[in-house]
Amino acid sequence: MKELVSIVKRVENIAENTYSLTVVLPESAGEIKGGQFLNISTGDNSRLLKRPLGIVKADGNEITVCFQVKGEGTVALSKAKAGDKLSVLLPLGNGFEIPESAKNIVVLGGGVGIFPLLPVVCGNKNKKFYTYLGFRNKNCACLTDEFKVSEKLTVVTDDGSLGKKDNAVNAYFSEIESVSADLIIACGPPVMLRALKLKLKENNVTTPCLVSLEERMGCGIGACLVCVCKKSDGGNARVCKDGPVFDIREVEL
Amino acid sequence: MADLSVEICGVKFKNPVIAASGTYGFGREYNEIYDISQIGGISTKGLTNEPRLGNPVPRIAEGHGVILNAVGLQNPGVEHFIDNDLSFLKSKGVVVIANVAGNTLEDYGKICNKLDGLVDMVELNISCPNVHAGGMALGIKPKNIEEVTELAKSNLHKTPLIVKLSPNVESISDNAKAAENGGADCISLVNTFMGMVIDLDRRKPIIANNTGGVSGAGIKPIALKMVYDAAHAVKIPVIGMGGIMTGKDALEFMCAGAKAVQVGTANFYDANALPRIIDEMNGWLDKHNIVNVNEIVDTLTLNAR
Repeated sequence: MKELVSIVKRVENIAENTYSLTVVLPESAGEIKGGQFLNISTGDNSRLLKRPLGIVKADGNEITVCFQVKGEGTVALSKAKAGDKLSVLLPLGNGFEIPESAKNIVVLGGGVGIFPLLPVVCGNKNKKFYTYLGFRNKNCACLTDEFKVSEKLTVVTDDGSLGKKDNAVNAYFSEIESVSADLIIACGPPVMLRALKLKLKENNVTTPCLVSLEERMGCGIGACLVCVCKKSDGGNARVCKDGPVFDIREVEL
Repeated sequence: MADLSVEICGVKFKNPVIAASGTYGFGREYNEIYDISQIGGISTKGLTNEPRLGNPVPRIAEGHGVILNAVGLQNPGVEHFIDNDLSFLKSKGVVVIANVAGNTLEDYGKICNKLDGLVDMVELNISCPNVHAGGMALGIKPKNIEEVTELAKSNLHKTPLIVKLSPNVESISDNAKAAENGGADCISLVNTFMGMVIDLDRRKPIIANNTGGVSGAGIKPIALKMVYDAAHAVKIPVIGMGGIMTGKDALEFMCAGAKAVQVGTANFYDANALPRIIDEMNGWLDKHNIVNVNEIVDTLTLNAR
């Protein structure tokens, strides 16, 4: 885990309100696991908090993150120019722990929740991924070409403007019999993850399921206790340090 | 290299930079980024008698130059700290300041009793704005401050007592004096200012608790004035804080009368903030040919009016 000053290499608009940002680190940040994230300054010094963003690609010292513009901080980040310096703290969080025994993995991504899933799909060549991505509409869809390394890729949208009119969770459950998954990994908005948890229970699906959560964060390393989620046992877990990836059955969504 | 060591209430700090309560946990996480033995001290996450789960999320929001938090004193309880975290902190050779928060007046006595002689200093948090009982309720009126200070002091026979003051008050000077009258060995200030950030689209506050404590660079001028006022109202030493982001900021607080400083929000902006601030203090002192940091304490001269 290191705090480094990175140099912006490029910023690209990849979908409506959505950007890809590649920075170059001055030194290696060590091994980065799919599902880990970084904290990055916005480039606006009046913003004291860094933004936690899922790492989409780590290629040597080049790190790519993607993000949706939501507030003034991400507006500033979207306007970063090649050569700008941005502070980064990485790698953060636990990432997806993919067991050796898992051969067929179902991937469920909703909206900007698809980002931390991509390095898992791209980084485990010996696994078969059955990927379901859901977007609001075709203008919001992104990285669908990159996910084509999956054994099977299904893209759906809320309005049917790209693929079927459906969401990722329903699309998977409608053909659950045809995929014998030994692991499900998911990331998306809270409403999607709640629906997934409910459907697993209603359908008595016992397949292990890992979900990556999002929360407003402070330090990003587990010290400030700002970004907690509720565990099923009644306690709190730190999304940044104990997560962001959790067993879906061990957290309240 | 200037001599940065300071001594407060007989406790020796290798430098005057202390991690502020609530931003630094019990030091373990930052120790994964740098060796925390470099810093002067750590004020722990606020400790209560029983474990607390804290407030619902979101617990944090942002404004220009500031952040707001309402964690609500989530902590594992004082006994868990003593059993699981204290030895780690001691092994790092930093001054361990246990920040203590009660739900009731009696709690403060109980917690201090458990910590007496185990930690280097106790910091009484009578100024947490984010809990509905205790906390700030005890930290506003001079009479209450004096009472809780006396109770804490009567349970501390070996460990010096710092009283951390809230800035959300009528007179910081009167409250500083109340802590001194109650027997405090030291005061620290400022805790956070009460504030609110609104999401206009939803017409709701961003923080689940509605209000939160404002901290960060934007509060520095207000904090600096309060530290100056408090330091000149009492004879006991003062630890200053509020928006310190750089070594120069830290030295300004010392110039205004603080014997040491605490740094909190800067840790979020820059995970290496504390070692950087120590370096920057050294650099400034060297540049100005000041060989000992204590020489800058309380050297502010006001403009003639």
